[in-house]
Amino acid sequence: MLELKPMLSALWRNKISAMLIALQLALTLAIVSNASVIVQDRIEKMARPTGMPVEDLIAVTFQPIAQDYDMHGAVVADLDLLRSIPGVVDATHTNQIPVSGSGSASVFHSQPNQEIGGEVSNYYETGPHFMQTLGMNLVAGRNFTPADMRVVQPNEDARTQVAIITRQMADALYPDGDALGKSFYNSNGTDPVEIIGIVERHLGAWVSWSKAGNVIFFPRLQENNFKRYMVRAEPGRRDEVLKAVEKQLAERDPQRVMHIETLSERLERSYMSDNVMVKVLSAVVTLLTFIVALGIVGLTVFWINQRRKQIGVRRALGATRANISRYFLVENSLIAVTGLALGMAGAQIANHFMVSSYSQPALSLPVLLVCALILVSVSLVAALVPALRAANISPATATRSV
Amino acid sequence: MFGYYVSLAIRSLRGTPVLSALMVAAIAVGVGASMTVLTLNYMMSQNPLAHKDNVLYAVQLDSWDPNEAYQRSNNEIPYQLTYRDAMALLRSDIPTRQAAMHRYGFTVSSDDFELRPFSAEARITTRQFFALFDVPFVYGGTWDADADRSPVQQVVLSKATNEKLFGGENSVGRSIDLNGEPFTVVGVLDHWNPSPKIYDLNNGPFNEAEEIYIPFGLHRKFEIYSWGNTNGWASGDSGEGYEGHLQSESVWIQYWVELQDEEQLENYRDFLTGYIREQKQQGRFQRPLKFALTNPSEWLVLNEVLSDDNRVLGWLSLSFLLVCVVNAVALMLAKFLRKAPEAGVRRALGASRHAVFVQHLIESGCIGVFGGLCGILLALVGLGTIRQLSFGYIDQVATMDWLMMLAAVGMAILASLLAGIYPAWRVSRTNPSLYLKTQ
Amino acid sequence: MLKMHNIRKSYRTDTIETHALRDFNLEVKEGEFVSVTGPSGSGKTTFLNIAGMLETASGGQYLLDGEDVSGLNDRDRSRLRNEKIGFIFQGFNLIPDLNLFDNIDVPLRYRGFNAKERRRRIEKVLEQVGLSARAKHLPAQLSGGQQQRVAIARALAGEPRFLLADEPTGNLDSLMARQVMELLEFINEWGTTIVMVTHDPDLARRAHRNIQIVDGQVSDLQHAVAAAEAATA
Repeated sequence: MLELKPMLSALWRNKISAMLIALQLALTLAIVSNASVIVQDRIEKMARPTGMPVEDLIAVTFQPIAQDYDMHGAVVADLDLLRSIPGVVDATHTNQIPVSGSGSASVFHSQPNQEIGGEVSNYYETGPHFMQTLGMNLVAGRNFTPADMRVVQPNEDARTQVAIITRQMADALYPDGDALGKSFYNSNGTDPVEIIGIVERHLGAWVSWSKAGNVIFFPRLQENNFKRYMVRAEPGRRDEVLKAVEKQLAERDPQRVMHIETLSERLERSYMSDNVMVKVLSAVVTLLTFIVALGIVGLTVFWINQRRKQIGVRRALGATRANISRYFLVENSLIAVTGLALGMAGAQIANHFMVSSYSQPALSLPVLLVCALILVSVSLVAALVPALRAANISPATATRSV
Repeated sequence: MFGYYVSLAIRSLRGTPVLSALMVAAIAVGVGASMTVLTLNYMMSQNPLAHKDNVLYAVQLDSWDPNEAYQRSNNEIPYQLTYRDAMALLRSDIPTRQAAMHRYGFTVSSDDFELRPFSAEARITTRQFFALFDVPFVYGGTWDADADRSPVQQVVLSKATNEKLFGGENSVGRSIDLNGEPFTVVGVLDHWNPSPKIYDLNNGPFNEAEEIYIPFGLHRKFEIYSWGNTNGWASGDSGEGYEGHLQSESVWIQYWVELQDEEQLENYRDFLTGYIREQKQQGRFQRPLKFALTNPSEWLVLNEVLSDDNRVLGWLSLSFLLVCVVNAVALMLAKFLRKAPEAGVRRALGASRHAVFVQHLIESGCIGVFGGLCGILLALVGLGTIRQLSFGYIDQVATMDWLMMLAAVGMAILASLLAGIYPAWRVSRTNPSLYLKTQ
Repeated sequence: MLKMHNIRKSYRTDTIETHALRDFNLEVKEGEFVSVTGPSGSGKTTFLNIAGMLETASGGQYLLDGEDVSGLNDRDRSRLRNEKIGFIFQGFNLIPDLNLFDNIDVPLRYRGFNAKERRRRIEKVLEQVGLSARAKHLPAQLSGGQQQRVAIARALAGEPRFLLADEPTGNLDSLMARQVMELLEFINEWGTTIVMVTHDPDLARRAHRNIQIVDGQVSDLQHAVAAAEAATA
């Protein structure tokens, strides 16, 4: 027994209040759904596999104090020392720290003498130990050998003859999947670099780069005025290893300035803006839902108080408690559904603007529906408590004259 | 009468504590959230060189790849110059002041001190850098004129570095070792930390200003590569070794000029046009002739210091405030209509509709004042949280100045007045006789 | 003092037009105490609302103190109401959040008196109704009769020339009702014109003159005058 018609006319008499609630729900849906789709996008981004045991890795950067410094000798001695520290799985030199936001990139081609097109890739200058240190999974071909290594001066034209690349980069250069054993070239280059190995995946230096995952590893050591190492500790021993690394490197050669950090710290920093976005948006969504729920509670309580006498009369005339509660819940749902229908249109418009002006992800129907469903439930729960209380209004209210 | 209305408002708010708290909370949360985000956006959009907006220009030359335009810049001209072009532009005497520069790092050590060697962020630049950007000195001044071209080992220290090395005393004439080589201190800066770091936006616009400043003539001696961005398109074009790097088409130098008036600006444009034409004859600059002189405020926009994410948050927080205002409208409507009988009595006792309207509007205004004050607290908490999430990177932008606090209260009062207009109007329009008969 | 000529008042809903008052004529002289009676729905309340300028008539002329108020705007009507008219209601209509002092203060505030003058008047009327000791009490802490006395004090504080009372004793027991009635008579003796709507024939008879409203018109004026004369006799 739904009394829709009298309910609608009662709503019509309170149309402003009803519209205000519907408007709140509509705006909330537009905001919440757009925020959710951004949050979802960023969470997925942060959850991408890095291709590394991030929790076990330590990054070392050092700069010698003296201008003339035997960088090659220092690297060989340091790496020997690092690998001898208990708890260290392996260590390697590198030109860049993975996922740190700072690194090198260049354009490469599958044919010689190309000027236009090509595929841009992040690249490492490292050695045979990178495979084990970074915990990479070689899916085809072989690792570097010491014989592949080249030691070069900065800006020296010393291309290596071989390289290892990620599966993603291999597919970009050779879409047919037969990259192993083939070669790639610099822009305008004629000297081939042979692809001797393919690793499953590696995110590279920049997590927010559109081409993240395009990575090439060259067996090379550049003698510039600073150098980096990656050190992999046995699981759970990272912090203890970090202290030992710091102490022993400083003891071996105190004439340098060193900076040591964990890779997880670095990764967290790289995802800082995404993390801020997720946290702020989640807070906005939660607060907004809460505020709207409070508003609904407040207004439902007010309406019920206004209609105490009417409710008493209804009860006196034979309405059950359930009838009374249901009346208010149905009334609330009518408003909520109207508001959310409006909100769906609003959400689409807002999203169109977000996508076109601020390159945010597009809103999908499932996300929109889930958000709408959640808001309907919140609105019903918010109305439930006052509605149940309304059912407790005594039929005697009808005869009382205040 | 205003005082009377305020006392009535406070009495009325205390009369319905729960509803009042809800309304204050709605306004406070709305204002708190939007002020958190708007403060960030406002601080990020600051122009620390606003006072020189009419005379300062960042110089861009399109020396890029003939085959394709420079895609990483919003006006398709590289943000930075090649070393060769920077050195050529420095020869012009048209600008009142000019500076070429980039970021670098030195190890700092000294035999004289019980200080552990440390790595210092350095700006490699020309001597007019300080005058160009109004950088204040405490002691000494910039380096000698020939240091811009020949290797002169002089250094200017930031205030903090001077504190660290010399305890803040006048260190002009003293010596420190940079990368193991002796440098003479010629100047010490006062506190200077423009935010955003407008003169070099390449490596995080909210990073701190550098710790030491080094003359531009030392590139070859120290084989200095930029610690900022270096972008190239013609690999191996100019030979190997450090000299090859200096002569290459890679861009890595930021360049700023000061031009006082339209005439000087025109002269400089002619100079740049002439320079590019001359280079074209030598086979460089094969793209269509294009350069740009951009003043500081436009430079910040061009470099998108305020990111898309920030803008999204800005819109979102304003919509959030809107929901809170709608919420407050609904609650105020409920509350005012409940008090309509009282308004009826007041009307019978001689209050005009206008008086009833003003009385209720002032009540909304009071909600705004309380909401605004709570909103400031929430915004401070919000900014604190964001500071914590950002590892100190945006410490200096995630703070509220008095202007923003004032704006917060103003925004809250405005929001609550807007929210109160309709309910106050409704209650002032209701027929008083409805409420005066026996209830 | 009060003169209504051919006053008409109709309420319009979507379909029906109801005439609450039609061709309503009445004159009340300075210093009179007039009672108004009539069956429910006859238009008593509408008359009171128009007389008190809470509503405007749909047509006709209303002179208050010689001034035609029909065409005045809300602000001027509010000012006149505040200066010349005092209201007393059956439901007292005290503001529950305000204590007695502040309740009586309300019309004086709108009058724009300074604090000293307001205090003087409030203390004076509280003394007149015998509630000086309870100035800080809230309405809820008083009995019905006391509340009505406060309402009368509030109506008197502005020293109105004209008092409109709507069933002033309707919510009171007979003893209280008598006290309130005596207070009204006392006020009338001091020169304030009173128009009182009532159901109670005994009270109606105590007025100088009784008029009866039936179906939106003053009915049987002769009888009313006679009744009034009988009451004064």
